[in-house]
Amino acid sequence: MNRNRPLAIAAALAVAASLALAATASAATITMSGSTSIAPLATLLAKAFVKQPQYKGKVKFVILQGGSDIGITDVSRGRVSLGMSSRDPKPADPGGIVFNKIARDAVCVVTNASNPIATLSQTQIQDIFSGRIRSWSQVPGASASGPIDLVVRTAASGTQDAFQNIFMGQTLRVAASATTKASNGLQAQTIKSDPNAIGYASFSFTKGLHDVPYQGVPCTLRNAKSGQYAGTRNFFLVSRGAAKGVAKEFINFVRSNPTALRIVASDWVPLH
Amino acid sequence: MRAGGFWTDARVERLLGGVACIVLALIAGMIAFVFQKAWPSFAHNGLAWFGGGGDVDLQLEDIFNSPADPAHYVYTLHAWPLLWGTFVVTVGAVLVGMVFALLSAIFIVEFAPQRINRVLEPVVRLLAAVPSVVYGLIGILVIVPFVGEHLISLDRKESVANVVQLDGAGLGVGVLILTVMIVPIMIAIVVDALRAVPHGWREGAAALGANRWRVMWTISVRTARPAIVAAAVLATARALGEAIMLSMVAGSASFAPNPIDGITFLFEPTRPLASALVENVEGLSVVPFGQTLFAFAAVLLVSSMLLSLAGFAAKQPMRKYGVRP
Repeated sequence: MNRNRPLAIAAALAVAASLALAATASAATITMSGSTSIAPLATLLAKAFVKQPQYKGKVKFVILQGGSDIGITDVSRGRVSLGMSSRDPKPADPGGIVFNKIARDAVCVVTNASNPIATLSQTQIQDIFSGRIRSWSQVPGASASGPIDLVVRTAASGTQDAFQNIFMGQTLRVAASATTKASNGLQAQTIKSDPNAIGYASFSFTKGLHDVPYQGVPCTLRNAKSGQYAGTRNFFLVSRGAAKGVAKEFINFVRSNPTALRIVASDWVPLH
Repeated sequence: MRAGGFWTDARVERLLGGVACIVLALIAGMIAFVFQKAWPSFAHNGLAWFGGGGDVDLQLEDIFNSPADPAHYVYTLHAWPLLWGTFVVTVGAVLVGMVFALLSAIFIVEFAPQRINRVLEPVVRLLAAVPSVVYGLIGILVIVPFVGEHLISLDRKESVANVVQLDGAGLGVGVLILTVMIVPIMIAIVVDALRAVPHGWREGAAALGANRWRVMWTISVRTARPAIVAAAVLATARALGEAIMLSMVAGSASFAPNPIDGITFLFEPTRPLASALVENVEGLSVVPFGQTLFAFAAVLLVSSMLLSLAGFAAKQPMRKYGVRP
């Protein structure tokens, strides 16, 4: 088997190269990388875009993931046509890039399914996550007992950034004792296996967990669309300078085409 | 018929020499690159980089949220909890692993019946090849919830609730799974070394009336000591670089577990350097944050280079005896 490996790799490379050549010869390619939260949406939108009569057979997509910051770096260096970012622009971001808002997304506070809290106010969420309240006995309506386990995301996560902006504000910080997880999946798994845990997640990652209503409003897609649920964040497609060519047409398609808006509305919040 | 055809010895020598030089240049280039990237982080903190103070997670967040102006980049970092976490997890796993590996190797070489060995040795080598993420999955789906529900009492959780969360993932689980991961390599190396001990030496001891255990312990293990050190060094290198599994089961909080806490020590979360690196890689685009991550990489790189040197040094006495591990 070892002997065949270089051969197999060479063959794979040759196939990939010829495919790439074929693609460049006949169609424009839009490459994207970045947020794992946006990737499912971007994939659906790309599929719809290439079915449009005027683009059929003329545009191809390559969609990679890696996290919001990877997308921003890639696009600022010109490695991809569009970066996907689920966080707002930061002062230290590379210069010369433009954030094009395409949709909104609900961020829910979640607990273990055995701890179905009826509602939390912003003050309660701030008290819990900043460590001012450390026991479930101090939280009205909690069925868990004992210390509160905070399960949050690492600093570089787009969801962490959104949670900080929406729920914590600029001055409060998540308590130092919190467990910080590197991905949505790890965070969800930790909350699932720990009855004392509380955390936050993008709406599409909350299956199997209890979504805590925020200020009395349940974290559902309908409430997020109607604007009643306040915990929403922005999804961006980031371009290097103003978007040009097919990338610009794609962004316009996502923002205004009825088919695209229907796709966004299926699991996310359209802009209008 | 020409010997070798086009590939004369001189041509092959030049070609292979060139390839070897490329490898060396790659390594040198990589080291230079990592240190060049990491330098601002070390330069701003000085020796305090390796010290304690403050919460590493919050410091990383501040670095990540640095202002755009390069003159005002935040670099303050006191990485001691990460370094201590790396040290405790690695040393713990290698020490526990050493005991198991040595005893299993003695069993395989001297005591195990042939038919058990036929199964045991391939299984050990197979275990050495299991990807670490598989162990991580087993840890996070089975062991961590079990520890959290059955081994950590509510009193224990509450006793430290103001400082750190005990949710099952922690130092003990990390060391346990890391031990399972590195033991197979150690067994393989020690078995080879024990088998390489000259028969005459062992037979001499046996002829003097020593039983098999005594021969093993006084002759074989003693002769193989350098190989045992080499096994420990290799295992340490693997443990040091283990990132994914530990980030899944070791608690994911940049906390320095405190041995004074008694049993609680084993349940306290920690985050080794390699895990901290892989968990924060998303933020590479922020310049000072990326430089901080490269500083982590530089520390890991230097540690593993020192380990390679130690391993090389440990093998020297073995050569002296004419025994090759």
